Amino acid sequence: MAWLALAACQRGGAPTGGKVEIEYWDKWTGFEEEAMRAVVEDFNASQSRIHVNFSSVSQINHKLMLATAGGVPPDVSGVYANMIPAYSENNALTPLDSMAAAAHITREQYIDIYWRMCMHRDHLWALPSTPTSIALIWNKKLFREAGLNPDQPPRSIAELEEFNEKLVKRRPDGSLQSIGFLPESPDWWDPMWGYRFGGALWNGRDAITVNSPENIAAYQWIASYPRRFGAHDLMAFRDGFGNFASPQNPFFNGRVAMEMDGVWVYNYIKNYAPAGFEWGVAPFPSSDPVRLKDVAIVDLDALVIPAVAKHPAEAFAFIRYVNSRKPMEKLCLGQRKFSPLLACSPDFLRNHPNPWIGEFLALAKSPNACYAPPLATYTQFANDMSDAVNRIWTGKSSARAALDEVQLRQQAVFDRSLERWRRLAPVLTREWSAQ
Amino acid sequence: MSAGSGKHHRGARAFAFLLLLVAGVAFLAPFAWMISTSLKPLNETMSLPPRWLPSVPQWRNYPAAIAGMGHFWRYTANTLFLCGMNVCGTVASSALAAYGFARIEWRGRDKVFLVLLATMMIPYPVIMVPIFGLFKHLGWIGSFKPLWVPAFFAGAFNVFLLRQFFLGLPKYISEAARIDGCSEFQTFLWVILPLCKPALLVVALFQFMYTWNDFLAPLIYLARQDNYTLALGLQSFQSQNGGTAWHYLMAASTLVVLPVIFLFFFTQRSFIEGIAATGGKN
Amino acid sequence: MTRGEWRDCRNGLLFISPWIAGFLVLCLYPVITSVYYSMCDYSVLSPAVFTGATNYRDLFTDAIFWKALYNTAFFAAFSIPLGVFISLSLAILLNFDLPGRGIFRTVFFLPSLVPMVCLAVLWQWMLNGELGLINNALKPLLHLLNSLFGSHLYPPNWLADARFAKWGIIFTGLWGVGNAVVIYLAGLQEVPRHLYESAELDGAGFWSKTAHITLPIISPVIYFNVIISLIGSFQVFAVPYVMTGGGDGPDRSLLFIATYLYQNAFDYWNMGYACAIGVVLFFMVVALTYVATKLSERHIHYSGK
Repeated sequence: MAWLALAACQRGGAPTGGKVEIEYWDKWTGFEEEAMRAVVEDFNASQSRIHVNFSSVSQINHKLMLATAGGVPPDVSGVYANMIPAYSENNALTPLDSMAAAAHITREQYIDIYWRMCMHRDHLWALPSTPTSIALIWNKKLFREAGLNPDQPPRSIAELEEFNEKLVKRRPDGSLQSIGFLPESPDWWDPMWGYRFGGALWNGRDAITVNSPENIAAYQWIASYPRRFGAHDLMAFRDGFGNFASPQNPFFNGRVAMEMDGVWVYNYIKNYAPAGFEWGVAPFPSSDPVRLKDVAIVDLDALVIPAVAKHPAEAFAFIRYVNSRKPMEKLCLGQRKFSPLLACSPDFLRNHPNPWIGEFLALAKSPNACYAPPLATYTQFANDMSDAVNRIWTGKSSARAALDEVQLRQQAVFDRSLERWRRLAPVLTREWSAQ
Repeated sequence: MSAGSGKHHRGARAFAFLLLLVAGVAFLAPFAWMISTSLKPLNETMSLPPRWLPSVPQWRNYPAAIAGMGHFWRYTANTLFLCGMNVCGTVASSALAAYGFARIEWRGRDKVFLVLLATMMIPYPVIMVPIFGLFKHLGWIGSFKPLWVPAFFAGAFNVFLLRQFFLGLPKYISEAARIDGCSEFQTFLWVILPLCKPALLVVALFQFMYTWNDFLAPLIYLARQDNYTLALGLQSFQSQNGGTAWHYLMAASTLVVLPVIFLFFFTQRSFIEGIAATGGKN
Repeated sequence: MTRGEWRDCRNGLLFISPWIAGFLVLCLYPVITSVYYSMCDYSVLSPAVFTGATNYRDLFTDAIFWKALYNTAFFAAFSIPLGVFISLSLAILLNFDLPGRGIFRTVFFLPSLVPMVCLAVLWQWMLNGELGLINNALKPLLHLLNSLFGSHLYPPNWLADARFAKWGIIFTGLWGVGNAVVIYLAGLQEVPRHLYESAELDGAGFWSKTAHITLPIISPVIYFNVIISLIGSFQVFAVPYVMTGGGDGPDRSLLFIATYLYQNAFDYWNMGYACAIGVVLFFMVVALTYVATKLSERHIHYSGK
């Protein structure tokens, strides 16, 4: 029993030999985890005051909330930027304004959209770790086979559909063998389709605008797929898709000719696609290519310091290190992404293994780049939108009806969170400004 | 003695045996499938139609699964620690409480026992949030304390079980002890308790199983990964990004199930008798 | 009270003091606090603010809550009767005293020992649309039916299909009926033989004996089992949580009451709302237990009590 008790004892944050040990959790596994581990080791080796213990934690949004609510968060955590509004408004994060100012870290040093994603309610809550942007990716060989110019991607949604018609292949029994484009493959950006049609998900202040005409148009476009190809056929077709990280990824084995995906796709292509796979990257088309040029969805992994962390100063020292040019480039190179810092070593882009890194970077800087609405209720919002898209996709609900339902419900949920904010804001903002 | 034995038509008995056989195969199939998958190489888990026997049993899936889970041996140690503490706490506190409800006559005893029975109706999710808050204020979240301290407070179910048993012991034993000059506690410790070993074993087994199995409590009370229990560690392994490696998952599941199965085979009799006793008399 | 009675009272309370402490701290306090929080807006890292009946009003108009309730009721309504039927049938079969009874009993009982997480992981694999054992066993059967009747039946992708996901969970749960089988078997073996013998003398067959002797005598056991299952079905959490990765399942078909409560408390920062769900859950369990008791009073036969 004594042995068991000893074996099960927690290792605490007690200093070992004068060093302060801090806990850092992040969501990555595989090569992305390796990239961050290398940077952590560099940091630990570069100074003798702080030692960072890095853990790869699955389902980090659940685990971080539980740990923070329970009073035992890590000192530093990686988060998805869309978690920042909920965590900050619920008093779960340490504001970084004064620490960043003292370290001379400013907005001008970053690609603007990523700085904006780290801000909420006029305070800075995070600093970027790795950015992404989302683009249209296509299989050049399949284009060639269908008689399309492999270097000319579709520039509008209408053109996308024309290409789709040419790229569809059916088996003798009528079932789908391959398709040009399938909006649900992958299905990670369900709430964001409206942006490509000029719609927005909220008005920037207090109203959700999910059922605006542009958004309805976008989801009617999604709904056209089961209508055109048969809901059951599409489901059976999708059931045959393999894992994203495997040779059975539908984009790699030729089932889907075009997809919407992020900057990381290079690494998966390298590991799982057949040899000689030819692919192209371009801005994902929008409904009006002139007015809505280069509408790019961007995403961000960011580093935060939870509110009741034991060692905030040391935590920030680590975050600051990651945000300096060389370590950041090392991290982003290791994860095959571009850097969120504006100042970039010339070698970085030149030697980058991803042949299309320049395209992805340009998209992040596009004036029409957009990101998930910074709602404190974003988790519920995204859940609801995913569910709505699922119902649209399986034909259970029309686009308008599904979006109306989401609008009603999410507006009510959002209203409650606004009420909570109005109640808590005086106390919270006073605390934050004092830090 | 079973009712109606030998009186049934031979045909009826044969039919019954057939039904039992079919049911038995159906109940065993998932276990077989689990082990079969755990010994396959990845590509064979995806093959259609699926085959039962792997071409070459991949015993190395097991060490690979252990490595993939991260801190497998720590999880095991943590789980065993919690099982040990919970078993000690439960047996001690439930025996004490059951004794008080069964072997001492005091005013209001049965009414208080009704309250105890009523508390069995409270679903855990109802009290989960305030208890989380309580542990948070005590600063216990992230440690093991929320997972074993409550065991020392006599859960209703085990008190109920032991009380049944204590009630079945004859009264004269206690009286004889009293005449001999024993205090109530001495009677409890030296006279009654030794007679209850089978019942205490049942309580211990049930608690061990429950703690080994527990998922929700470790989910909300444990923070650092190396403090996880096996159940939580397995779920964490399953929810990792990058998709599911079924052969490793089945190997990991088999490893988590095996100790419980072993325990059962060594203590079969107590198990079965204990389960039977829970539902029999109320 | 006499001195002896005082002493007994004191001793009794001393002995049950661990339970009393537990009752106050881990039962009474949480229930009362839960009721209080249910009337507050509480985001755990800021103090709770009293908002009266707001949470309950929101709950009443919350379509997701009603969906969760529906899912839970669906699960209970099908898994409990099926569970009773299967476990009772198996117990009756085992009661025939056939060879290998001990082995069969073990085989049926083992699955109920499997930890929930393992159960969820295993059955997620078993129910896989293309590669799972269930569908690959069903395919030839459905093929046969299709060729006989010209139908177009196909095995569903259980956990990904909103119409069948809950059935997947129900089957997963039914694998664990062994626990109940053992209980029923013990109960069956307590039925006095002479009752069967006199019935046989009157010419009663198997079905008649079962209906008029066996079932009434073990009805208290069935009742107890149903109550426990009912309370348990409102706490279904681990299996769907693990299978969906903490989510709701297709079209929210795997969102159960305990899951929705957990999501509100630990994903959405709405602990007050979660407590309101908890309070409603509590009243439902009490009400259902009461109804079940009243209904069964007419049907249960307690011998010699």
